[in-house]
This record gives sequence, C-alpha cells and structure tokens, in this order.
Amino acid sequence: MPETWARVAELLQLPFMQRALLGGILTGVTGGLLGSFVIFRQLAFFSDALGHSALLGIVLGVVLGLNPTAVLMVFGVVFALGVTFILERTQLSADAVLNIIYSSSLALAIIGLSLIPGYRGNLNQLLLGDILGISPPALWMSGLLLLLALGYIGLTLTAQMLLTLDESLARARGVEVGWQRLAFVVLLALVVALSIRSVGVLLVSAFVVIPASTARLLGSRFTTYVLLAMGFGGLSAVLGILLSAAFNLPSGPSIVATQLLFFLLAMAAKGASQLLRL
Amino acid sequence: MTSHLGEVVLWVEGLTVYRGSQLAVQNVSFALEAGSHTAIVGPNGAGKSTLVQAILGILPRQCGSIGILGEPLRLSGYLPQKVRQQIAYVPQRLQFNPAIPLTVAEFVALGWGSLKPRWPWQQQAARQEAVQKALQRAEALHLASKLLGQLSGGELKRVLLAYCLVWPRRLLVLDEAPAGLDSPSEGEFYRLLEELRRSLGWAILQVSHDLEMVSRHCDRVLCLNRSLICQGSPSVTLLPEVLSQVYGPEFARYIHHH
Repeated sequence: MPETWARVAELLQLPFMQRALLGGILTGVTGGLLGSFVIFRQLAFFSDALGHSALLGIVLGVVLGLNPTAVLMVFGVVFALGVTFILERTQLSADAVLNIIYSSSLALAIIGLSLIPGYRGNLNQLLLGDILGISPPALWMSGLLLLLALGYIGLTLTAQMLLTLDESLARARGVEVGWQRLAFVVLLALVVALSIRSVGVLLVSAFVVIPASTARLLGSRFTTYVLLAMGFGGLSAVLGILLSAAFNLPSGPSIVATQLLFFLLAMAAKGASQLLRL
Repeated sequence: MTSHLGEVVLWVEGLTVYRGSQLAVQNVSFALEAGSHTAIVGPNGAGKSTLVQAILGILPRQCGSIGILGEPLRLSGYLPQKVRQQIAYVPQRLQFNPAIPLTVAEFVALGWGSLKPRWPWQQQAARQEAVQKALQRAEALHLASKLLGQLSGGELKRVLLAYCLVWPRRLLVLDEAPAGLDSPSEGEFYRLLEELRRSLGWAILQVSHDLEMVSRHCDRVLCLNRSLICQGSPSVTLLPEVLSQVYGPEFARYIHHH
C-alpha cells in the first residue's frame, strides 16, 4: 500500500497529472454549479441526450479534419438551439423528442465511425473519455467556462431561482423566461461539450447530475446546496483521479464511482439523521 | 399611500385571450383603482385564471390593451422593471418541486427589488432586513428557516403574503385555488390581508371561489363567464338572480355557501 501512494505522489509531479487534476476540478465544479439548477428544471435527460448525440459531432470533426473540441462546442450549441426550437413547435413530450434526436445521432455517428478507416480502436476513448490527455487549451477553455457560468448564475441568481421554482411566478416578476432558458441551455451545452473529451459521452451527464443530487440531500438552504454541489463536483474529481492513478483504473469511471460513493454516503447520513429525530 | 387613492392602477380594454384554439376570455374591459379590493367570480372554466395571467403578461393575449401604473403591457408581455417591482402575483398553486432546498427566508427574498444583474452579496443587509420585516408582518417569522416544501397550505399562504410585502407594491393579484382551503386560518388570513390593504393602499385583484369572503371583504365584483356578465359592488352583483345567470347550472353548488 505505501508504495502505491508513493507512486501516486510521483505521478503528481508529472505535468499531465497536474493538468488532469486541474481539469477535473474545473469540470466538476462547473458541472455541480449548473447541475444544481438542472436537476430541478427537468434538464437532466437533456444533458444525457446531448452527451450521447455529441458522438456525431466528434465523428463530423474527424471526417472534416477539424479541431474536435471546437466542432463539439458548435455541435452542442446547435443541438441546444435545435431541441429548444423543436420542443416549442411540437406536441411531443421532451423525453420523446430528446430520445429521437439522440438515438439517431448515435446511430449515424457509429455508422460514420465504421466508415473511417483505423478509427474503430478509439471508440472506447470517445465513450469513456481521457482526462489524463487534457490539453492546455482545453484547460483554459474549462477555466473560462467556469468563470462565465459563475458570472451568469451569480448576476442573475434571483431570476434563476424563480425560474427553477415556478415559471408563472418568474414571468409575473418580469423574468424574460424564453431568453433566460435559452442562455442556460446554451451554457449547459458548452460545458457538456467541453467535458466530453475528458469524461466521455457515456458519463458526461453524471458530472452534472450526481454531485447536485448529493448536495440536495444535505443542503438546508439553496445557497449552501449550490456551493455543496460545486464542492462535491470538484472533490469527486480529485479523489477519482487519485484512485485511478493508485490502482491503475480508467479515470472517468473512477470519478463517477467516487461521485456515487458520496451520493450513497449522503443518503446514509440523511437516513441516520432522520432516524435520530424520530 | 392615501395620496394614490382614486388613481387608476390597472386598466383593461377589450381583452380577448385564446388558450390554444379555445376562446377563454372575450372582450373584457374594466379598471382598478388604488386601494380597492376587487374579486373575480364565476364558474369553473370561466377564464378567471386566464384573465389574471393575461393581465400580467404570463399568457399572451390576442386582442385588447392593458395598462398597469400608467405603462402599457406590450404584446410580448414586457413591462418596465419599475412597474413590475410594484406588482405581486400569487398563483393558484406554486408548481415547485417540494424537494428543492429553498428556505422560506430565501423564497421571500426573491420578491425583493429589481431583477437587474446584481451579485448575491450586494445589498444583502437591506434585503435581509426587508425579509425579516415582511415575515413579521405576515405573522410567519417563525417559519423563516423552514424549507418551502415542508409548509402546510395555511403556512404557505402566509409566506406568499410575506413575498408580496417584502417590497413596496401597488397591485396584488391573487389567484385563489378552488375549495379545500376552508380552514379556520382562512378567516384569519383575510383579516390580515384587509388590514395590510388599508394601511399600504394596495389595489387587490383576486380570483375567488368563496362568495361569503367576497361579500365580506371586497368592494367590487367582476362576474366572469368568458365575457364579463356584470360588475359592481357585492350588494348588486351577489344577488341570486345575477349569480344564476353567471354560474348557470353550477349555481346551486355556490348558493348554499353564500
């Protein structure tokens, strides 16, 4: 065991490992911040669907020979705007629309991948991501997005809370519901798209949903809840990456497993405190 | 506040609203003066909630014009923030997820001030003081740190009243839920509302299902069944012959109440 941790300490000296930790913290904190609104705005499935659809964005990037991260960001925004547009003009439920879009994108992406010679081997990396390979520009982008999200949510907190609580109350108060919703969804799409390269299409929505759900169990005020969600997001990323380094496990899944561990602990803590009160 | 007395706070002219392809409100006109308490009564599906939601720009309107505190409500639902701040709306039911970790004090603070971009820590002291005062006046100070999802129906009403009180308002729009709230706290609530209206000069527009409450507290009644059947003081509008015309076959259910 001591030699395992000595190896981790050694690994921590390496720049790629430091980048991964920083990237993990930035992604985790941003995911927690947006997630604390997402889970009460019926957007959890949206981020899941966006994650899966993004595979088509990646394939398009490869086919066109463009920077995959840039293509993903554009793809994410187009997806968000497209889904919002279709939802406003259809009688179908959001679940159905999202399902149609994401399963068809996934199908097209996999067909596309099978046509690209020599790319099949990388499918695993696309599905599960590789936070250890995070590049300095991607790190800068993550930092920028976190600042953007903090600025936007911080400055419009009253409007965001009203919108999360009750739409008619928000409208009566003068919140421009349509614009606010669109801005939030675009921001969410950018965050999900940027995180995909590090955590993969399959697990990206966990970064948004799980830390916020954990914080929900423990927060006794809205502000504490949002801060806890950000904290759990960052902490799970750090612990997950360290665990993956120590035991040579895949990094993205290790982070999500750590998020789950915190969620289960929070459930147990909540259950215990309720038992004590009885 | 008394200086505002007699001033027109809200006017509605030829308002027509469709919900989908259904005509919900047809050609309704009326005006509300400062300090008045007006009830909207009518059978289920008469368009009462639709009417108040269109007045506030929550629902779009097809025809007619609306003005609040001298400013026209645009078709897009836009009203200047300085006007919006002076209106409080209490919906029939808050459509919120009860699991949301929002305390009563945090909720009441959402009614404070304008929506201009502002960091959460700016003007925090003034905001918190206003929240305390509002909760005290609504006799709900003891609920401050409770979660919104854990309140009983009567407690929630008081908290919503504090939400109205946290900032100086000129117009209160209350959409009362039908029946089921006949608790003893109900009478207490209206006593408090009346007291606040008198001292603060609020104009109140209230959807109501309780004709007894209307006759006791309101000075004006709008009888609505898609279009406005009649309007006037409770003594002229709450007569059996008028009500049977407004409510139609549903009338029998309401009259024993009155």
